[in-house]
Amino acid sequence: MKHLKLYHIPIAYMLVYVIAILATGVWLFLLSQGLGSSDIMQILTQIAMKTEPKSLHNFIEVATPHIFAMGILIFVVAHFMLFSTKVSQKFSLRVSVLLLIVALLNILAYLLIIFGVVVSGWVKLLSLELFVLLFLLLLGMVAFSL
Amino acid sequence: MKFLVTKDLQHSTLLGNLMAGVSVALFFYLGLDVVLHAYVIGSDMVSITNTLYGNVEEFIEPILIDTLLLQVHIDLFMSLFSIMIIASIYIRLYSDKRVTKWLVHTLFILGLLAPLSLMVAYFTSIGFVYVWLVSFSLGHLLGMGMSLLIVKKLLFK
Repeated sequence: MKHLKLYHIPIAYMLVYVIAILATGVWLFLLSQGLGSSDIMQILTQIAMKTEPKSLHNFIEVATPHIFAMGILIFVVAHFMLFSTKVSQKFSLRVSVLLLIVALLNILAYLLIIFGVVVSGWVKLLSLELFVLLFLLLLGMVAFSL
Repeated sequence: MKFLVTKDLQHSTLLGNLMAGVSVALFFYLGLDVVLHAYVIGSDMVSITNTLYGNVEEFIEPILIDTLLLQVHIDLFMSLFSIMIIASIYIRLYSDKRVTKWLVHTLFILGLLAPLSLMVAYFTSIGFVYVWLVSFSLGHLLGMGMSLLIVKKLLFK
């Protein structure tokens, strides 16, 4: 189909938008941990040792839109891999499923902290890092397939 | 998007009507988004600068960075999906027109420039407020215009 070539434009811009969404998301998270008052390394250590306390109400308020948004964003980005001829479907499937699991863990990490399953915030920090890295990998795969 | 690309519109009136329906919904979404931003950020230069930088004489505090960043975060997400849908359908229907490519480029650039310029305006100067105003207004107008063109092509052939 002749117009298929034009679809590369929205897909390419989508990658830039998703990077901007990820960047603002991480920034928002760091701000909630007190980024304004101390430097980044201090904040990361603080999160790993003991995160800022959150109420269940606060958790639900953040988790509800994020479960929907992360799920739909991963689905939309990953479904472009169906068109890919450069990356195998098996690898795309593994990355997408792993990303969905890490996204869920990232959202639910605070639940583990609230109910005292884990005291330190390393679960949140680790899942956030994994989520961002895996999402960047998926974006890279889509960009490579264009 | 896979269905938009592969299904033949000539043989699927359902898909055609669904595309017209989502375009009408996005037309109203974009219109209401302008109204929403007029309430949250402001509708004129005075109210926008009061929101972003505060006003000592009128005892108005500047907007918190957390609040503004959350708004930008949501705006980026909503813009991505609304623009992606409009652009995908528009390409499907107007791929033979040379201007299509440039309209899609412009729509995506304006959609990205608006939230980013708002953040830059918060940290730097009032000059970027003008960039936000222009990119936000033009982006929304262009999106609404493209939605109308989609509806026109699908329902009034």
